[in-house]
Amino acid sequence: MCGIAGRTLNHPGSIGADLTAMMAAQRHRGSDSTGFALYREPLENAYVVRALLADRAHLEKDLEALRAVTREHGGDFVEDPTWDDSGQRHVLARFLVSDPEPFSDWVDACDGLERVELQSAGRALEIVKDLGDAHEVAAKHGVQEFVGTHGLGHVRLATESNVSPVAGHPFWARPFADVAIVHNGQLTNYYTWRRRLQRQGYRFTTENDSELIAVWNSDRMAAGDSLQQSLELSLRELDGVFTYLLATADGIALAKDRWAIKPVVAVVAPDGVAVATEEQSLRTLYQEEIDVEVNDGPSIVRIWPAASTVALPVAV
Amino acid sequence: VISLEESRPLSDGQVIRAADRPLREVNAEIRSAVAAGQHIRVTEPLSRHNLGVALPAGGSVTFDGSVGYYCGGLNNGATIAVTRNTGWGLGEAMASGQITVEGDAAMSVGASLRGGVIHVRGNAGPRCGVAMKGGLIVVEGSVGHACGFMAHGGRVICLGDTADAAGDSLWEGEIWVAGRIRGLGVDSRVEEPPAEDVAVVRKALAGVGLDDGGREWKRIVSAQALWHFESRDAQQWLMI
Repeated sequence: MCGIAGRTLNHPGSIGADLTAMMAAQRHRGSDSTGFALYREPLENAYVVRALLADRAHLEKDLEALRAVTREHGGDFVEDPTWDDSGQRHVLARFLVSDPEPFSDWVDACDGLERVELQSAGRALEIVKDLGDAHEVAAKHGVQEFVGTHGLGHVRLATESNVSPVAGHPFWARPFADVAIVHNGQLTNYYTWRRRLQRQGYRFTTENDSELIAVWNSDRMAAGDSLQQSLELSLRELDGVFTYLLATADGIALAKDRWAIKPVVAVVAPDGVAVATEEQSLRTLYQEEIDVEVNDGPSIVRIWPAASTVALPVAV
Repeated sequence: VISLEESRPLSDGQVIRAADRPLREVNAEIRSAVAAGQHIRVTEPLSRHNLGVALPAGGSVTFDGSVGYYCGGLNNGATIAVTRNTGWGLGEAMASGQITVEGDAAMSVGASLRGGVIHVRGNAGPRCGVAMKGGLIVVEGSVGHACGFMAHGGRVICLGDTADAAGDSLWEGEIWVAGRIRGLGVDSRVEEPPAEDVAVVRKALAGVGLDDGGREWKRIVSAQALWHFESRDAQQWLMI
């Protein structure tokens, strides 16, 4: 089943708190794991990295290995890493790196380290996902305090693959900086596309079809498609029932399949945009009666830029 | 969870606040008031699911705002009103009673409806009347795709237009359309209804306060090709 949500704000604000509330209201749609893709205004000279380290007992050693790999690629840690103090065996660490080159080689080298898997890397993006409901995951990883421009949320009911902190959503479109996805649905031509993309050199860390959708769109855009073109093509090329939200550093976008099975509603409010599987999720942010865009129909594509990237009139 | 006996009786005109209260508690209060023949309002429904399900005959309840999925499901005689919009499955499997929606209703209005009346003043989403077995659905606006999908009985009256695949896999039952039929689904056909049936529909519309207004009715019914197994198709079936 799964529940998804997206949020943009016209001015940087409480993205983490908003998405936590929106996902808590959809808890009944999936209790296996909860995740967030959080975007702030892009850094200029560094990437922010979220990495899952499988064993807290080896934390310092594994962080050192990440630092060494980054140095081998011409970058370095810009500030000391931080991590959750949840006490769980696995650790979600966060650090900033100065630009490693080539970026995708550095990603491969990091993922190649024992007990390490990057969850996200980008100028603006941080993916936080873990086992537990929205409040539990938010509390473990300080999501409530995150101030940013836009983001995605997901609660997962695992149907196609394993329950683990790395199998939850959002998925990063490895190795494309700043692209993330949340998805509600199933692809039926998953293996066909996975094999094609693997032959092109892409590497998947899970057997989850959602990870593929993120890479699929990023590959189209790398080949020259606009976001709109890529999303529209996905309605024809990806087979199955799906509603997904794709985020880039510029904002969030929605695509819904031609069978119109998976619900999604949206509200365009004066302070920003909220999108979710269920309307009651939107109502955690908007208690007054609001006009909700109900997207029950088939073949829908929408793009909502985060307003911070839109040129605002400047007083002279 | 509170039992029905313990819940406080509410007098006519009394207001129940939904907001973030436990849904069972809210529904128990609604049910006990409606069973006692009272006419109540529910404030701050906040698009929550399963509000006012399985209500008995007697009184009425008005939801002040938008509700979520399955509002009025399994209704057994109550009169229900929603002042704004509803989510999926409005009045699912209702046996009797009346539901009126001032705004739009989302997917699967009156799914598996058995009796009673659902009246949507705005538009209805896809699969309106899916698998309905009886009863009446009146939509003043338009209906989404696959209206009446696999319906076994009952009647949908749409004063606006249909989307694609209207009457898809219709078994029995009827879809009356005053506007444009954008496309028919599998095994359905359009016919001009006889005057005596138009009179029945006119009466049904009058029952929800609507004037027939001399509309040009089209009636979508089953083409009945899927009713019977054709021996000449056997080879196709065996290939599956």
